[in-house]
Amino acid sequence: MQIRVKCNCGEGNCPEWAILELQGAVEAQPSFQGRLQNLQIGILCRPSSQEVYTFTVGYHELTGSKVSLKKPLLVLKKTKHSDPDHEIGEGDFSSRVELEVIGVIRHRILFKTRPKAIISKPQPAMKERVGMPGSVVSNQTA
Amino acid sequence: MFIPFLAREREAEMEQPQLGCSGAEAILNLPPSSSISIAYHPLFGPHDDLILLELDEKLLPEVLQQRITLRGQPDEDAVLCTRSKTYAVKFVGTSNSVFLIPPSDQSEFCENSLDCIGKDHDQQVVASVIKVAPGNMELVEVAPRLDKLKLLLSVNPYRFGEDIEMEDLEETEKSYTGLYKWDDLVEQVQASDEELRSALKALSAVEIGGYWRIVDDKYMDTILSMLLHDSVLNDWSLDLLNEDEVVSMLESDGFPQKLARHCLHVYGTKVDENVDKRVWRLDERRVCVHFAREILKEGKRKMDTFMVKWMQKIPEGMRASFDMLEGEVLTERLGVETWVRAFSVSSLPSSPAERFSILFRERPKWEWKDLQPYIRDLKVPGLSSEGLLLKFTRRTQPTLDAEPVFSAR
Repeated sequence: MQIRVKCNCGEGNCPEWAILELQGAVEAQPSFQGRLQNLQIGILCRPSSQEVYTFTVGYHELTGSKVSLKKPLLVLKKTKHSDPDHEIGEGDFSSRVELEVIGVIRHRILFKTRPKAIISKPQPAMKERVGMPGSVVSNQTA
Repeated sequence: MFIPFLAREREAEMEQPQLGCSGAEAILNLPPSSSISIAYHPLFGPHDDLILLELDEKLLPEVLQQRITLRGQPDEDAVLCTRSKTYAVKFVGTSNSVFLIPPSDQSEFCENSLDCIGKDHDQQVVASVIKVAPGNMELVEVAPRLDKLKLLLSVNPYRFGEDIEMEDLEETEKSYTGLYKWDDLVEQVQASDEELRSALKALSAVEIGGYWRIVDDKYMDTILSMLLHDSVLNDWSLDLLNEDEVVSMLESDGFPQKLARHCLHVYGTKVDENVDKRVWRLDERRVCVHFAREILKEGKRKMDTFMVKWMQKIPEGMRASFDMLEGEVLTERLGVETWVRAFSVSSLPSSPAERFSILFRERPKWEWKDLQPYIRDLKVPGLSSEGLLLKFTRRTQPTLDAEPVFSAR
């Protein structure tokens, strides 16, 4: 079978998505597990005009930089239609799969250092948030 | 470290128009000395339907023009095809946390903006993570998987008299088993359009009544023999065959026009077309090889008898030489006699591993001059022919000036 990759971006204007990448995993406090929606992960900050960023998650601060990907990443969305008109062959349930390009990724902000503990008291910026999740970076591998 | 705090104050002063939710663009264009809150999207989840595919910048135009397809049956590993190339698709996992952030105007996830403006009391800019990507798909250029094409088309080759039978049968009675239109082949064969087209050409396939067919050898032999017979009768030169004359003569001999033209395509080459008339030259090698194959069809022959029979079949004006049969026949000495038998490279699989395995089953040791015709058509992206030999053979050279011998690894 054949799946044509659809793309309605036209003229090279695929919407650009972003990636924030860090080593290890971010773990929410147990009380939030399973319902992460809307929860704040942290604050991304660009302190200067350089492409250097900090990402503050709970009491941890990560430092990283914006890097261009060597090769772009396409964001594809897979849709399954059950389409009775289109039978592929005998006994073949034809659930037609469609793939559509919905975005492209050219940059990521990569944090590859170990998190630094923020020793001072929790920052006001974090404190005043409603439902402060207090996410914690657990750095599994360095 | 109070930078985030300071940054937020400054941002609070500046922020006016883009309150509430934003997305990728806010991160990618984050102004110096500012910050943005990163949160899980209201629709955050595994979103297995979102796939990241890494591909070369130079393939992007083909994506935009919707020329990219994925091909394969449910039991095959999918390949991605551009117009001219085939790529294997591999999943590469990562242990990093890859937060995927869509742009704010992504229609699929747009309830976003309504959702979070209300919740965010201080109206801070928030970019939302829709999923954590476990990895991405990567492409590796591969040779097209064309052996299946040969298999499909061999099931029901076009035979002599079929055109007449077809006419006699009612439309509904025609048997379509083993018949494939272009679109069927594209569904079945894991190759790009260009690769599929050139494979059809290499197989001497022809489109008859919308179906791609290979023509039964015996039928091709009959047409070719008739063509040669007609050229003798009409005193045509085999180097200057007028297509219209040839085709109408063959038609009057009872062959379908399509097959008459096909015969010229298979055994001939078009001569420079600066005239209105299409003129063909029969290709000496292809014609001679055809007759050699015909003779060896029934089995091996002693070299002497083979050569005599072969020479008898070669049309006037053509010269056959044994070199032409490279990659077509093998010779072996049994006692004092040399025997010839058919062993055609075109009957061998195109995957290098299978090819070498059959070759070494055929003969445990190969000299380079014998081996070369059977492997020169193997193409593996990223692997040279030396690389192929290193990977699949063991090379021995008894003395420095001796011919190297290849055996199985």
